[in-house]
Amino acid sequence: MNSRFNRRSILRGILGGGAVGMGIPMLDLFLDGNGAALANGAPLPTRVGTFFWGLGLTPGQWEPTKVGANYDIKRNLEFLKGGLDKKTSIFTGFTVKLDGRPSHAHWTGLAAILAGTAPARINTFDGMPSFDTAVANTIGNGTRFKTLDATPYNATTTSYSSTGGDNYKMAADSPVALYSRIFGEGFSDPNSGEWKPDPRVMVKQSVLSTVKDQRDALWAEAGATDRARLDQYFTSVRELEQRLQNELLPPPKCESCVVPTQPEEIARKGDVPTIVRKNKDMVKLMTMALACNQTNVFNYVFTTATSEIYRPGDLPVYHGHTHEEPVDGKLGYQPISAELAQVSVNAYGDLLKAMDEVKEGDGTLLDHSLVLGFSDTGWAKIHSIDNIPMLLAGGANGRHRTGQHVKVAAEPVTRVSLTMQQLAGVPVGNFGVGSMMTSKSITEVMA
Amino acid sequence: MNFKRSLIAAAAVLLTSASTVVLTSCATDGKQTASAEAPSARGELVSMRRLTAAQYERSVADIFGKDIDLTGRFETEVRVEGLNTVGAANASISAGGLEQYYAMAASIGEQALAPKARDKTMPCKPASAKAPDDACATAFLTKYGRLAFRRPLTAEELSSRVALARRVAEQRSDFYSGLQEALTSVLASPNFLFRVERALPGKHRGDRPLDAYARASRLSFMFWNSTPDDELLTAAESGALMTKAGLQAQVDRLAASPRIADGVADFFDDAMMLDMFASQSKDPLTFPKYSGALAAAAREQTLKTIVDLLVTKNGDYRDIFTSNDTFLTRELAMVYKVPFGVGRGWAPYTFAESEGRSGVLTQISFLSLFSHPARSSPTKRGVALNEVFLCQTTPSPPGDVDFSLINEPNPLLKTLRSKLTAHATEPSCAGCHTLVDPPGLALEGFDSLGERRSYDNGELIDVTSEWQGKKFSGAVGLGRLLHDDARAPQCITKKLYASAAGRVIHEDDPALKDLTAQFTRGGYRIPAFLKVLAADDRLYKVPAARPAEQQPAAPTKVAARNGASS
Repeated sequence: MNSRFNRRSILRGILGGGAVGMGIPMLDLFLDGNGAALANGAPLPTRVGTFFWGLGLTPGQWEPTKVGANYDIKRNLEFLKGGLDKKTSIFTGFTVKLDGRPSHAHWTGLAAILAGTAPARINTFDGMPSFDTAVANTIGNGTRFKTLDATPYNATTTSYSSTGGDNYKMAADSPVALYSRIFGEGFSDPNSGEWKPDPRVMVKQSVLSTVKDQRDALWAEAGATDRARLDQYFTSVRELEQRLQNELLPPPKCESCVVPTQPEEIARKGDVPTIVRKNKDMVKLMTMALACNQTNVFNYVFTTATSEIYRPGDLPVYHGHTHEEPVDGKLGYQPISAELAQVSVNAYGDLLKAMDEVKEGDGTLLDHSLVLGFSDTGWAKIHSIDNIPMLLAGGANGRHRTGQHVKVAAEPVTRVSLTMQQLAGVPVGNFGVGSMMTSKSITEVMA
Repeated sequence: MNFKRSLIAAAAVLLTSASTVVLTSCATDGKQTASAEAPSARGELVSMRRLTAAQYERSVADIFGKDIDLTGRFETEVRVEGLNTVGAANASISAGGLEQYYAMAASIGEQALAPKARDKTMPCKPASAKAPDDACATAFLTKYGRLAFRRPLTAEELSSRVALARRVAEQRSDFYSGLQEALTSVLASPNFLFRVERALPGKHRGDRPLDAYARASRLSFMFWNSTPDDELLTAAESGALMTKAGLQAQVDRLAASPRIADGVADFFDDAMMLDMFASQSKDPLTFPKYSGALAAAAREQTLKTIVDLLVTKNGDYRDIFTSNDTFLTRELAMVYKVPFGVGRGWAPYTFAESEGRSGVLTQISFLSLFSHPARSSPTKRGVALNEVFLCQTTPSPPGDVDFSLINEPNPLLKTLRSKLTAHATEPSCAGCHTLVDPPGLALEGFDSLGERRSYDNGELIDVTSEWQGKKFSGAVGLGRLLHDDARAPQCITKKLYASAAGRVIHEDDPALKDLTAQFTRGGYRIPAFLKVLAADDRLYKVPAARPAEQQPAAPTKVAARNGASS
């Protein structure tokens, strides 16, 4: 292919000009003529993401009555109307098996889904990684970012993604922060037709190489706990190296990529109108990060598990409402909490809609992706860990049999996590610990 | 294939050049310190603590000057046992975080070596600004590497960076550009970003004694919350710091410096969780006065109050609960609804008794941080007060409790007190709520921002309370109670010790009782206590791991990642 020849010629040119040291280029990520597959005939990569919102949904207001395909859409999930339901599977009846461990309010549910464990202590995964790490290790190595983390929420860092050791990733927490990370320094527009390697990138590689030289000395002297943290640090160094290496290659042309303009900064507030606006901006940026081949894996947290979003002028925040608001006798549920649950799950809907609007090859970006939407609790009012909402959207390049409602009776949530990993292409046969260890994939959604 | 070969050839050239550093003489004004011994001669690595944001900022200001502008985002702190300085021992650096640290490192190098700054920064002058100069690069990296790593660089650490500086200088025909990149590699290194502590070489049974550099760091971060200065590192290099007299001399020097105010302010900023202001928001409809500037002023008000009382006036620690001496800006005065004279900036102010305030608990910082965006929270305030000042951790709400068993809250219950009282009738909730709510209820005379109020939802607020078997009323009563609570001095002793040692101090730690007794005998004076702690040999030992410590401690409740208790 001509493009291949050109890339190499360009690189040879750079090196001829006195390179400061660089690695061997990694992958040939060129699309074929119509953008449906890679140059070597392999299908487009499946993009995989997790989307979390806090405080669950309203019991009785989201679970379809009908099991299987063509399920009915309940009030909380109205965003699925108009076609997204055909691209989304819904899982009901899944639960957390505690094995005698405590159920930490607003923590155990998400820990079980992400790390397959009911941790002994709150705010930890018992040192284990979240499963998106395995996904990133499998499909995250050919792009500029191995994984991207983002949140429109107010907390300074909100990511539940962990490479282990109870350390969590840093999430870009505003539209401007996310834009700068993806489309700021080092980004090349794949469609501009003008690509020049930045010689500073090679210098950066040399700087990192000097930093990495210290790894062995530190490693030899450190104890087990510090080794784990050193390993995380040097894994981060490798991820930055991956980014730099990627920046030294001309970006493959990518028709679905439309480079966004720099967004406006939005004030740090938790009121519903502000966070909804912020979310819309940020899901669009994340969508373009996928469409522009910047990453294949992302984690997005709309709110933390104890969501403190609020309706302007309302005294209690969402979390407060879930515990204090009486169940309306006529409606049979908590009306304000239900409204805020819908705001939260709609944020997930906004991401799916943004992804589905991007045409890519023979379908949409969503068709080539897999996005798990999930929460921490089945009923926030009582901190229930039964029937935690979990939705799987996107066709995963045909691997996900979409549009199914899978209903079980108290089976572990880890079945969904395992299935998700397998659909993403992770070579994994089982997932979870104790009673939540499962090798039982949800075959109903596997094509 | 030619392409690959040319890459490999290029790499080989680079490797060769890296290993053949030729040192030539260079006039310097800094001390040339011999590089430390090879890693094999160093002791075991016993602790690694990620620099907190405050420690990073102070270190950079001390090494390169206060005018260096830092515009990056730090990794979120990990708070364990109420302290980021303890959680730092569990913290690592994510990929997103490393990008930030790298960008900050590059920016520091650019500023420190900008043409205008060079005269101040450089310990030598290169033979030519357009060509490599290994000797001058060596002098520069020896000087700044030592301050950044808090020990001399090893020969290998130094030579690889000198080689990097040379290669970049050659490529760009710019000596300073090469130096900048080498400096970036120093500041992006785990040896700078983490406080790496080593034991003395050799085998040790039980507690492992720290080496002189770890000793220097503990001292420096404890008193100044910053990297050790040249004099302290020199005392470590000469071995003086390992002697009783040498240690005492440095303790006296550090404690006598006005910079002890930095150490005390940063400690209380951490212990009172004032960093949470960064993620705070208030509902603008309810609190139009709230702004980022107000939040920053509120944080500074508390720190100014504490430094004034504990350092400037060398006062009794327990008075932080009762003293009404503080400092205000005009915008703070508007929230406190007190008169503010002409002029801008900070002015001392003493609240009158009639204003019903009592010490730091009634400042905007505490009252607003431990509230909801639009509503106060006796529970949040109570949980925080117990944890911050008394080291009493409130367990999480039980996960399996069926809240539906509790009577549905009656919409006629208007005040938070009435709602909470209804809440706490359930035995499984009452266990904790009776511990945390009473002190919080005494602070209900202040709203979510810290403004005084008499009514909640149209109903007169009752601020009487009963806690620990004692009846009291309002913030003033609560302040007196805390002032006389024996757990308060023990708690602050424990936190100061934990912060300096960077580990969880257990209740049965033999040093704790002894240190608390010394704090008490010294009249609860913080600067004097810091000197006692710093001269205590036990601070410089890392205990053999206890079974309970095999796993890192659970993060603090108040600072939970979910950030909330209802």
